[in-house]
Order: sequence, then structure tokens, then C-alpha cells
Amino acid sequence: MPKPAPVERLLHGGRRARASVACALALVGIALLVLEMGPARAQVKLLPTEEAFRFSARALDARTVEASFAVADGYYLYRDKLRFSAATPAVTVGTFELPAGKVKEDQFFGKVETYRDRLVVRLPLENAAAGQAVTVRADSQGCADVGVCYPPNTQSVTVTVPQPGAPSGPLIDANPPKKRWFN
Amino acid sequence: MNQEAFRLSPRKRWVVYAMSALIALALGAYAFRLLPEPAPGSRDSGPLLAVSLPDADGHPQSLAQWRGRLLVVNFWATWCAPCREEMPMFVRAQTAHGAKGLQFVGIAVDDAVKVRQFAKEIGLNYPALIGGYGAMELSKTLGNSVMALPFTIVIGPKGDVVLTQLGPVREAQLERLVADFL
Repeated sequence: MPKPAPVERLLHGGRRARASVACALALVGIALLVLEMGPARAQVKLLPTEEAFRFSARALDARTVEASFAVADGYYLYRDKLRFSAATPAVTVGTFELPAGKVKEDQFFGKVETYRDRLVVRLPLENAAAGQAVTVRADSQGCADVGVCYPPNTQSVTVTVPQPGAPSGPLIDANPPKKRWFN
Repeated sequence: MNQEAFRLSPRKRWVVYAMSALIALALGAYAFRLLPEPAPGSRDSGPLLAVSLPDADGHPQSLAQWRGRLLVVNFWATWCAPCREEMPMFVRAQTAHGAKGLQFVGIAVDDAVKVRQFAKEIGLNYPALIGGYGAMELSKTLGNSVMALPFTIVIGPKGDVVLTQLGPVREAQLERLVADFL
């Protein structure tokens, strides 16, 4: 009778063999976990600007786009550095109101307002037609609490203006999150 | 004592080998986490020392002119509060250790007008080179992968990169570098 292959022996073998396989798998798991998210790293891992400040938008109707920023925990955006515009010919963004930010007394810049967590702004669209693809541009600048700042950054999202009476369009991310094993 | 217990059959032996390798991998991974973050940039200061940028008065300055000193190259901007915060400490250190061979050089991701104004405000006593947004790209090639500020690279008197750091430099760190290299 030919000898079974080692793997086969382990899978169909006795209790000890199966226990070994389980132990080995558990150890691989521990190794990966430790590698991916060990808390021992002294230096904070910083996010690239598009991940720290995620811009997304959706068209509510032919005259309104809802723009939002998801600000990662430990990061903030400056209110006075925020700009929204349309990057589609003939289409413009009308006057909009930014919500009040959190007031912070900065030793260099005086009284500044900042946004954390989530910011949602309704932008009035001018000269956009139903069914039209409109690119909305957001210029922003922000920092991380650990003591670094990101240079002014531009992100864009292209939304399709819904037909009259149709439900609002889907929320579109400027930079869809990358798939990761952990976190 | 039963000798048989220690004599493993070949089929069992490979299981032991595999388990040992996995334990080693897990321990290795754990040790890797405990190690300090390796300097993300290169140890070779050549590319940075080859850089030449205009100073706030528009005169080109090559970083190679400070070769042989303990050279602290600090990427900063006037719009970056943590950068502004750490610079007065750099000014003090330049005064205290400049004669011994410490040399700060700022590379501003900014325009000359704002840099001149801020330099005057804090009494900047070391060169402030104007890099514009291109300096951000330059810093990326030197290890600033997330492209944030402040970003500092220290080159030792022998020309090797001795520190690459994103985020403010602490005074103790600076004192340590001075003690080690000057």
C-alpha cells in the first residue's frame, strides 16, 4: 500500500496530527496579527491626506449636491481653507453655508475653526441638467493631532444629476477605501 | 526512561520542524514589532546634498556647501502650525551649537514673501530655502511617504543620514545628536 502524502496524513490522521495542524494555523494567525497591528510601535502611523480626509458627494437633485468629508479620528480640517467648486464647463457652485466649526485658539493663527469627524455641506448647483455628469472639486487643508500638517489638497468626485422626481444619486467616494486584511 | 519517546519517526519529524519554524516566525514577527520604526528614508545623503534651491533673497544655495557639519534639513511651511512651533527651538540650538558645527537649513513648501515675513518674526538665524510645492515631492523621495510637515532629515558630519523624522523634533533628540556627533 503506498504511503499517504504528509498533508493527507495530517488531515485524515489521528487526533495528535489534527491538533498539530490546528496549532500551526493558530501560530500563523498570531504571527500575522502581531505583524499587522502590534501596538508596540512607538511612532504613530500617519494616514495619507486622502485617507485622513475622505471626500465624497452625491447629487440630491438637479440643483443640489451634498458634499461631505469624513475626517479620521485624530485629524482635523481648517474651516477657512475649505473650498468647493464645479469642474464641469458652464456648471457653477452657488453660495453655500459652511457649518460652524469647533473654535480653537491657535498661538499662530489666532481664532481658527476646525472640523472633526464628519462635515456635510449642501452645495447649490447652477446650470446643471438632469442626467449630466458634474465634477465637484473640494480644496481642503488639515492636520493631525500628533503634530503634522498636510499641504492644501484637491479631491474631486463626479456625480450624475438625477432626473426630476428621481431619488438622489448614490454617495460617491473621491478615493474609495483600500481593502486591508485588518483595520 | 523510555528512549522511544525521543526517537521520532521521519513523518513526525517534519511536523516538529514545521512547528519550530512557525514558532520562530511568530517570535520574529513579535520582535519586529518591538523594534523602533526604521528610518523610512535612505541612509545615503547624496541625493539631498545634491539639491540646490533659492534662498529667501533668490540666491541659489547648494546643500553640499554644508557637507561635514551636523546638518539638520527641516521641511516646513508658514501654514503648518507644528512647524512654526518647533522653529524657535531650532533658532536657539543654532545659536548654542552653530560654532561647534551644527547647521540648520529650512526648506519651505511655501513662497518667498511669506517665508521672509515669518523669518523676520522669529529672528531666523539659518538659511530658509524656498522649495514651493516641489519641495513636498522632494521630501517624498527622501522618505516622507505621507507628505506631511514638519519633516526633518539630519545628516551626520561623515555624510550619512542619522535621522529621518516626520513630525516635530524634540529638544532632547537634538541635544542627543549634538552630543553624539559634535
